[in-house]
Amino acid sequence: MFGDWHQLWVIISTPDNIPIVAMLLFVPFFTWLAFHNALANDRLIAQLEGDPQLARTHHRTTYPYNSRWERELHTNPFLMRKELLAALIITIILMVWALTLNAPLEEPANASVTMNPAKAPWYFLGLQEMLEYFDPWIAGVIVPTLIIVGLMAIPFIDANPLGNGYYTYKQRRHAIWTFLIGFEAIWLVLVSIGTFIRGPGFMWYWPTQTWDPDRVEFNVNRNLDQIFGVNGHWLAHILPAAWKPEAVIIARGLFGIIPMVVYGIVAALFIHWICMRTDYSRKIYRKMSLVQTVTMYIFLITMLFLPVTIFLRLVFRIKYVWETPWFSI
Amino acid sequence: MPELPPDDPIKSRSYANWILIAVFVLLLCVTWSFYAEFIGLRPWRSYQRRFASSYSVYLQKQLRARRAAEKTVYSSPDYQKLSTTLRQAEAVAKPQDAAIQQQIALIDQQRAAVLPAFQEDRSLVGSLIYDYEIVPSTASYRSEKQSKLKEMQEAKAKTYTVDWPEADGKTVEKKLNYDQLNDTFNQLLDQKAQLTAKEGDTDKPVKDAQDAMAKYAGDKLPGLNSAQLQGLLNTVQSMDVSLIQINVNPPGHEINDVGGVGLTDRCQSCHVGMDPKYIPTSLTLTKTDLGLQKSKDAPFTSHPDTQLLQWHPLDKFGCSPCHGGNGRALDSVETAHGRYEHWLWPLYYPENYDAGCQQCHSADAWTEHAPVLSEAKILFRERGCIGCHNYAGFDPQGQQLQDTVREIASLEKEKADDNQTIPQLNKAGDQAPDNATAQKLYAQATDLTVNVSKIDARVEQLDELSHSLQQEVKRIAPDLKEVRMKLNPNWIPYWLGHTWQFDPSTKMPQFRLEPDEVQAISAFIWQQGLKGPALEKQPGGDAANGKAMFDSLGCLACHSIGEGTQKIGGDIAANLSRVGEKADYDYIVRWIHNPRVRTEPYCPYEHKDIGPADYAKHNLPYVFDVEHSKCPNDGHELVVEQATIMPDFRLSWQEARDIASYLMTQKDSSAHYDQASFINDTNLYAKGKTLVEHYGCAGCHEISGLEDAARIGTELTTEGSKPIGRFDYALLYTKAQEGILPDGKKDPRGSWYDLKGFFDQKLANPEVFDEGRYKPNPMDRLHMPKPNIDREQINALASFLLGSTESTLPPSYQYAPTDQRKYIQQGWWIVTKYNCIGCHQIDIGQKTVLMGLPMYQADNSINLPPVLTSEGARVNPEWLKRFLANPSLSTTDEDRNGVRSYLKVRMPTFFLSDDEIRKLVLFFGALSSQQEPFIPQKLAPLTDQERLVARAIFTSPAAPCLKCHATGNAAHDKNATAPNFLLAGERLRSPWTVRWITEPATIIPGTAMPSGLFVRRDARWVFNGPLPAAAQQYKGDEADLLVRYLLQLTPQEQAMLSGRTPSAPKSGSSRAKK
Repeated sequence: MFGDWHQLWVIISTPDNIPIVAMLLFVPFFTWLAFHNALANDRLIAQLEGDPQLARTHHRTTYPYNSRWERELHTNPFLMRKELLAALIITIILMVWALTLNAPLEEPANASVTMNPAKAPWYFLGLQEMLEYFDPWIAGVIVPTLIIVGLMAIPFIDANPLGNGYYTYKQRRHAIWTFLIGFEAIWLVLVSIGTFIRGPGFMWYWPTQTWDPDRVEFNVNRNLDQIFGVNGHWLAHILPAAWKPEAVIIARGLFGIIPMVVYGIVAALFIHWICMRTDYSRKIYRKMSLVQTVTMYIFLITMLFLPVTIFLRLVFRIKYVWETPWFSI
Repeated sequence: MPELPPDDPIKSRSYANWILIAVFVLLLCVTWSFYAEFIGLRPWRSYQRRFASSYSVYLQKQLRARRAAEKTVYSSPDYQKLSTTLRQAEAVAKPQDAAIQQQIALIDQQRAAVLPAFQEDRSLVGSLIYDYEIVPSTASYRSEKQSKLKEMQEAKAKTYTVDWPEADGKTVEKKLNYDQLNDTFNQLLDQKAQLTAKEGDTDKPVKDAQDAMAKYAGDKLPGLNSAQLQGLLNTVQSMDVSLIQINVNPPGHEINDVGGVGLTDRCQSCHVGMDPKYIPTSLTLTKTDLGLQKSKDAPFTSHPDTQLLQWHPLDKFGCSPCHGGNGRALDSVETAHGRYEHWLWPLYYPENYDAGCQQCHSADAWTEHAPVLSEAKILFRERGCIGCHNYAGFDPQGQQLQDTVREIASLEKEKADDNQTIPQLNKAGDQAPDNATAQKLYAQATDLTVNVSKIDARVEQLDELSHSLQQEVKRIAPDLKEVRMKLNPNWIPYWLGHTWQFDPSTKMPQFRLEPDEVQAISAFIWQQGLKGPALEKQPGGDAANGKAMFDSLGCLACHSIGEGTQKIGGDIAANLSRVGEKADYDYIVRWIHNPRVRTEPYCPYEHKDIGPADYAKHNLPYVFDVEHSKCPNDGHELVVEQATIMPDFRLSWQEARDIASYLMTQKDSSAHYDQASFINDTNLYAKGKTLVEHYGCAGCHEISGLEDAARIGTELTTEGSKPIGRFDYALLYTKAQEGILPDGKKDPRGSWYDLKGFFDQKLANPEVFDEGRYKPNPMDRLHMPKPNIDREQINALASFLLGSTESTLPPSYQYAPTDQRKYIQQGWWIVTKYNCIGCHQIDIGQKTVLMGLPMYQADNSINLPPVLTSEGARVNPEWLKRFLANPSLSTTDEDRNGVRSYLKVRMPTFFLSDDEIRKLVLFFGALSSQQEPFIPQKLAPLTDQERLVARAIFTSPAAPCLKCHATGNAAHDKNATAPNFLLAGERLRSPWTVRWITEPATIIPGTAMPSGLFVRRDARWVFNGPLPAAAQQYKGDEADLLVRYLLQLTPQEQAMLSGRTPSAPKSGSSRAKK
């Protein structure tokens, strides 16, 4: 049942969800602000690159250039006063928040009753949402580890010496897009889905759809191999007698490798294509060692796999692409 | 390129305004946080201040009024007169007192003067006596002894000079020796004692006058006096606004012990008026008193039931354990009252207040001061809830009996195995290759033999236990095995489909049955009924006499008759207005004559009804009753009685026929029942059985083949603790949260998505939770039928369920008394089970069914059964035991009341088990706080003179005892309205009887027994009427004497006094026994 605006309001106004609602507003704003500054700087960079004389005297990241302005300014008071103002405003926001919204406490805990929907704290909702698409081993252990290792690997991979300490888009195009896709488009969207879309039974409720704990939903998720009808019959002829009973499992495991390899190749080619698009990026690419390149490719391929799987699950109802007795992807 | 600004924007731009505004807003926020901290989040501070101010105003007003009233009273002529009396008495007493005081002062001086010399002399003489005494009396010491004696006598003769004060103030020198000193001193002490006593006598008129004044003032000015009011006012004005919290935890737990089981209660922080420090229990404060009648938010009134608070002291219990709500919360009314989605136990609404009692009083069947809860517990059993739903404490016997039968079965199995193994072992032993093996096998066989005998002993014990349990297990609905003898087959399907149309007050719920289901159930029940032996044919009876008996015997305490506004009687049993349409005359005669009679006994061990053939197989006569309850096949206990609470009225066959004839006239002559041709259709049998099992009919009815059927419903013992999510709101989930009732109306209290809401709707109509659900098979629907209860009963049952929680309180708060109150607790289960309260008033203020009947109004209330509020103090428990087992107190003449033969309403025989009788006797004893065990008081036999006096009182026209009390003479007893004295000896306890003959109205208000027969004079009871001169010499307690006389009265004595011979017990009309 759609059109239940009360339900939407309940979700939005729950004290638990306030950070997410704020995030929905703040993230686009600061993205815009960053781009605004970055593009202004890019124009300055262009100006300076066009005028080596100016580049020699110009030290400030302010655009446009004015000869009467001082080259350097003291931190105190010119930076400090801005920071003071920011600190004041943040304090005010936090105080008002604390005074108006109580801690979202609920009934006394009861070990025999779980809440419905049972949701993780908002900062873990992305992880919880991933559990919908991968088996717990992947979503709960492998992917989080990869995320942390990937974040740690960034300084190692980064071969681009430019763009430190000022906003720029032109000089760090790849880094920015990786962030926009990896964090904003994937992670934050997962968090938002977990907050606003997932209702009782962790089922999918569109906004203004009533959250009904008695809702019954029909959906069948199949593995890719089931769609292709992999049954292992032909494999059984080749296998030694001892392995025959496991023919189906082996066939599935083997079959799953194919789409994974295909995806890996396609994704690698796609990333490579992006890296080769401009002179600048080619220059950076050439500076990278083989280890750096391979590491970067692996992480980017993994990262992109997430939206692909979600897409497969939500649109084609495909559960796993590759199923093995030990893990499923 | 645009014109560039002249100055560096980073340098020149001013942030002053922004920072100023931010600082200002921040300051506002700080102020706000202070407000929230001290006022906003602590509303109780302002409540307390408001209470203090409005209560001070109230007290000041009271104080002014009180002072004015006191002034008026003190200046009234009566008071003045009393005060004059006082002054006069004082004037008289004062000079006398002064003289006495003077004398006492003189004596004190004289004593002080004598004392030093006396003490010195006494110690000297004392020591010399000692010296004399320790000298041996033998001849060799004679001279020493002599000298010591002399020395001592000299000391005694020695005189002391004393400055003796005289009355005129002069001092005289007196010379006194030892003896004189001693005498003087003792005389002084005596004189002083006399004078003090005299002073008391002199002051008595003054004291009396003072008492009279105080009494007068107290009568005219009840309540708190001005000094007390002033004290209260001072307390309130200096009230310290602070958090008031109560630690509802076991001793030794800190109040913030989060891990503890208990709870913290802070309700009094706002509800300040609960504290007796501010509002003493003698004061009841209302909103109007405080001038806050219009305020919707003034939680200051005092608790209306001070008695409850006395039993449950606030500093131990607090508020929320009884009232619900979140005792910890303080920041708003909603959270404190628990009226928000995250608190599972919101404050109870007024109609459910009694729910709070159940948490600790779950073991009670009847809880004082909780009429709604007590009513609910009766309903829960009586309306058959217990037939489907288990509830701890209800029907423990049924469960016990099943366990017993199961244990017997398993023991029998073990025994059979053993008996099979023993000969095998013995045989193996005989054939054993060597001695050792043989010995071992024989020993095993012996062990098993011993085991078998142990099993036999245990089984015997279990059989004994089940014998008494069989008597205690009762079903609330009729036995359907006898359906073929009792009912009109055409009526059954009508009844199932139109239960409430036929009997609007029935306790049978209305099941939602499709026509084909009705047919199947009827057919199954009919075919499953016992087919024989046929009932004895009964001749017709006298319906008019039957009606008279029906109206007067007490049938109406349980049964009702008449429909709509004409309906009278109790609801615990069926309405008989249309019984003539459904029932068989012969069966009803048998039922009325003795409702215990079963057509065939049932063996729970073999799971079958035992017919005459089974008895014949073992050459046994076909006799089964409580004394003959062993199964002929296996020797275990049979079900030999109908499991009904309907008692035996000990009627003759003729009387039973009369009543049955009357009942058969009770019918709607226009009623017509379609021929139930399907009733013998065996094709319906299987379906019918499935349905009967599905709907749990066997929970209330006894049905062949389903005797051991388990209850089909949810266990409700802790239903009130069930999380709300476990209740199936079905399609009403959203509506409940929005506060829309199933009928589409808005719930004035808002959301009913809570336990109360669910219970209310489920009890009102369980069907609504099926509405809109797709259930093509009728058996998929919810099983629960619609119970026949009204709004008030729904509230009562909802209260009961709401209170059925797993207690959040420490176990020590549970009401599980170990003293006499335990007997009261146990007794109420039996009293409510057998509906004793339908006839007898047992709890003070409790109403009986009979009291409400038209035939017992006004003067006719004298014909009501006796009030039992002091039964335990009145009767000898040994006698009560005999009486409860056989209320006719006779084995030959049973067609009568044993004690009050003059009453038309009859105490029936309940066939209680021995254990139930024991519990009832203890219950009555405990209810009257009688000592246990009972030790009968020895009565002193009367002397001739005493007997003379007693006879004089007994026959005095001022106390015509035999005018009302029965004597056993039929002609005399026609007008008797009180029991025969001959029963008193073994029946009554003498202390109670003394109280009864002196002040009967204080024991049973409104009794016909006259008060004022005796008056209290000089600490003894004296007969309040003329007595012959000889009897007036008696100086003992006359009430006590009369009781001793009555309790030792002999038939000859009574006959002599009433001038007639005692009549022999009536012959004939003794009940024919089966």
